Amino acid sequence: MTLLRRSASLIGMVAIIVFFSVMKPATFPTLGNWLNISQQVSMLLVVSVAMTVVMAMGDFDLSVGAMASLAGVVAAVMFKAGFGMVPALGTALVVGVAAGVANGMLVSLAGILPFIATLATMTVLSGAAFIVSDGRTISGADIPAAFGDFARSGIAIGQDGTRVLRIPSLTIVALAVTAALWLVMEQTSYGRRLYAIGGNAEAARLAGVRVVALRLSAFVFTGAGAAIAGLMYASRVASANPIQGDGLMLTAIAAVFLGQSLTESGQPRVLATLAGVVVLGALDNGLTQMRVDSYVRQVLVGLIILLAVGASALARRRGRAG
Amino acid sequence: MHRLLLSTAATLTLALPAFAQDVAVITPYLAQPGTQFYVDAFSERADALGWDVNVVDTAGDVAAVISRIEDAVTQGVDAIVINVDPAQVGAGLQVAADAGIPVVGMDAGSDPLLAVNVTSDGVEMAAETANFVIDAIGGAGNVVMFTFDPFPPVQIRGAEADRIFAEHDGITVIDRITPDVSDGGIADSRAQMEAVLAANPDAGSINAVWAAWDQPALGALQAIEAAGREGEGIVITGIDANPQARDEVAKGGNFKATVAQDFAGIGAAAADAVATLLDGGSFDSDAIFVPTVLITADNAAE
Amino acid sequence: MTLALEDVSRNYGPVQALRGVSLMLRPGEVHALMGENGAGKSTLIRLLAGLEQPNRGWVMIDGQPVVLARPEAAQAHGLRFIHQEMHVVPTLSVAENMHLHRPFPRRAGLINWRELRRRARVALDALGLDHIDPAVPMLRLGLGDRMLCRIATTLIGKDRARYIIMDEPTAALTGAESERLFAVIRDLRAQGVGVLYVSHRIAEVMALADRVTVLRDGARISSHVRGDTDQARLIHEMTGRDLSDLYPPRPAPPDTPPVLRIEGLRAGPLHDISLAVAPGEVLGLAGLAGAGRGELLRALVGAIPRKGNVTLAGTPLPPADPAAAWAAGVAYIPRERRVEGLMMLRPIVENVALPHLDRLARARLFLDRAAERRLLAQRGAEVRLKAGGPQALPVTLSGGNQQKVLFARAVGGAPRLLLLDEPTRGVDVGARHDLYRVIRALAAQGVAVILASSDLQEVIGLADRIVVLQGGRIAHLVRNEGLAEGDLLTMCYDRPAA
Repeated sequence: MTLLRRSASLIGMVAIIVFFSVMKPATFPTLGNWLNISQQVSMLLVVSVAMTVVMAMGDFDLSVGAMASLAGVVAAVMFKAGFGMVPALGTALVVGVAAGVANGMLVSLAGILPFIATLATMTVLSGAAFIVSDGRTISGADIPAAFGDFARSGIAIGQDGTRVLRIPSLTIVALAVTAALWLVMEQTSYGRRLYAIGGNAEAARLAGVRVVALRLSAFVFTGAGAAIAGLMYASRVASANPIQGDGLMLTAIAAVFLGQSLTESGQPRVLATLAGVVVLGALDNGLTQMRVDSYVRQVLVGLIILLAVGASALARRRGRAG
Repeated sequence: MHRLLLSTAATLTLALPAFAQDVAVITPYLAQPGTQFYVDAFSERADALGWDVNVVDTAGDVAAVISRIEDAVTQGVDAIVINVDPAQVGAGLQVAADAGIPVVGMDAGSDPLLAVNVTSDGVEMAAETANFVIDAIGGAGNVVMFTFDPFPPVQIRGAEADRIFAEHDGITVIDRITPDVSDGGIADSRAQMEAVLAANPDAGSINAVWAAWDQPALGALQAIEAAGREGEGIVITGIDANPQARDEVAKGGNFKATVAQDFAGIGAAAADAVATLLDGGSFDSDAIFVPTVLITADNAAE
Repeated sequence: MTLALEDVSRNYGPVQALRGVSLMLRPGEVHALMGENGAGKSTLIRLLAGLEQPNRGWVMIDGQPVVLARPEAAQAHGLRFIHQEMHVVPTLSVAENMHLHRPFPRRAGLINWRELRRRARVALDALGLDHIDPAVPMLRLGLGDRMLCRIATTLIGKDRARYIIMDEPTAALTGAESERLFAVIRDLRAQGVGVLYVSHRIAEVMALADRVTVLRDGARISSHVRGDTDQARLIHEMTGRDLSDLYPPRPAPPDTPPVLRIEGLRAGPLHDISLAVAPGEVLGLAGLAGAGRGELLRALVGAIPRKGNVTLAGTPLPPADPAAAWAAGVAYIPRERRVEGLMMLRPIVENVALPHLDRLARARLFLDRAAERRLLAQRGAEVRLKAGGPQALPVTLSGGNQQKVLFARAVGGAPRLLLLDEPTRGVDVGARHDLYRVIRALAAQGVAVILASSDLQEVIGLADRIVVLQGGRIAHLVRNEGLAEGDLLTMCYDRPAA
């Protein structure tokens, strides 16, 4: 039954890719387009796999979008003040880590529900982003050209007509973060313990898992991941404003949910999240190419998430009864 | 010359009816009323020219605008129209430039990678309302400003008003508020204005509210009326002249003036600019300004 | 006036869940249905509840064959079902919960709250449940009282229950709650209700049932009337094996210095607990509900904060840190295996390896899945765990095998001290036998074991010494020599001579 559900979701995801490839054979299933998609979803991928770390424990982090926005404006403001690349990016990452620690302390030490705690920090971080940036978009000459150029760079791998095909730098960063978090979550005792907390926190505690410390630390990954994504976003748009990363949060949660429908007993897994992100990216890319109206596109994406998650919930319930 | 170009465009369009031109309009702000007017007018003109227009809204996500520009380039459209700060989507504009696809800004901002930007003169609009405020309160008094700096076209309005108010010694800006616009901006502006009113309880302690667009002006009006202070002669101005703002101005209450951008004109002019480019034409200047009108009680009903 | 199954069979594909079972339930009698997990008890209940249809045979009511196509049909024939897990709305009052599936009394279109409470009061009083206030929210009631409310609900109004089918009702109840339930069941019998009591707890059945039917592998093995059988025979019939003695023999306790020393421990309801347990010794913890049995174990593993000195093999155990306790050689099996023990949706290999990851992982960090599987294979065999491979999920296992997963976890790190809280609750007889052997085998290897149980027979069957707790203090500490269950029960109530 589980196998059926998992393969049903997988077939659905493959079907989406095949569908676009058939409808847009000249432009969708090309290497160039997939390199495009990989770059388009790179920030979402980083936030989503970072979100997977806390969702593996059954927690949430609603502050990732605001954190991404804040990281962008922190770096931009420091650029504007004349700091170089290393201190600016370093400070943004430190802010991400600090926000992660704060979230972790609220959830795990103070015992506030993650939904409420991170909703509050989301508001705080968002406000901080407005304060830091003075509510303005920081762009143009204030941003070093090298920072914006990073998102336009890549490793050349071939030629497509007159166009050079590159693996975009943002793609490489996103894949590196994904690989690192895959290693942490799937191959270490640390990751195993986080999954154990998600499986049953009280049982894990009584079996010798230091739940409080681990929960706290997991939020640090998410905060740092969100900050990295925010810097990637700022590099891509060669600017920063205090709201630009906000939308990442809901889409990231959607990607994790979508990925969950692929896993046994519906748990968040890093590679499943990667698949979820790719499907969401392919949907956006393919539907744009097919000239589907933006609002219709939103409805379709929402329905597909519902379908995948609903099918898996249904199959699980039936699996339990039978 | 201009006329010649246009007629050439018409001729070419008629001559090649089988190959409808594909144009992508990509915006993060379609839900804003102004944007809808542009896009509707653009689409209307485009339909008349027989183009196939695809409107993409990224719901506030600027990086997604880059992604959708890339997708439109991949798909091989003939032209792209954007409605976002071009400095932020440079990566996408570069892809379009590499592919030789022209990009027109519709109230976007100027950028070397844009063929041209069609817009109202935001500086002029802000100057008009700021000077209106100064005249209406006799050149001296306390002013509350509502601004929104994250969006460049609104930011330049605020900056211009800042400049003008600073030039007049009698004018004191007692608060400069950036409202939360996630629900349209009226509700939060009202709440913020209520706080300002509470902090300045004396009649005459607030002389004017200058808003960089209409929603905060409406919110401020609601706050003033709810506080029962509409009799103090507080002058309110907005920009954009949306229908609700026109109604309030026509009533002759505190809301004294707003500026009508010709959104439809911008949309139509953007379509004309695309037509020019598709014919192989070009522009001398990087901006095309479409005129604006100051709306007061005298002409609000028009 | 009877409910009967006539030669009923039910198969799921090739699996024959019931084979030609006949059974009769008369009004005013308690009929116990016994069998191990997988014997067909659940299928039989589902047939009566209208959730499944027999492939062959009939359900008869008052001598007429009936088709119970839907749960509503079973309801209409006066059948009611009581499960171990109660579905209640915790924030609503007892009276409201008792009327969830029937119309509320009204007056002038509005709900007549007084009448609602009166009806609930009448139903509760009919079963002697005068300690339950219909006006309090359900969440204030314990599991046992919730179940009693549910039973009382079946007696409200005109469509009162004629037959009540109870599925392992005492699985989650304390001893006192169970006793109260038994009193209510006897009341129901006196009022002419037929009770089908499904359980594998032999002692309960022997005390309660007028008749006993034993199922094994889907077939009816035997039926007895009260007083016509004994424990050994029922065990034999349920398991097909001759368990001449459920409990393994107890060798003479070793004469070694204690490995665990507890001095002046205080935690939760516990006061002034001082104890010493020797390697190879099984110490039984008895006492009434609330006496502090479970709390003592939780305090020792550090699940709740404690004061006082606790040393294991001469080294102090840090308080309030289960991780340190496991690392020092403490293994703990909590009372509620699904709530406190298992990660129900994580593979059993992960469940077993969890406390031992530091030792199993390479460089204490990188998972060694082969080593985890070896651990499961080895320890699983020791406890006779039956599961479909290392990736099987606990949720798919029987209660006995779930408990064996926890035992495999507990012995996975060669513990010095094993803490067991109700280790055989809801476990069938065959699996209990396996677990008892494991406990004794560990003791023989020199592990100190503390066993807390509400099953006094179990304590007497396993322990070398027995501590009886009363109100958080040690009331008695006795050698387990020639004790009968009654003696121990008396100790649970009696104040010791000063």
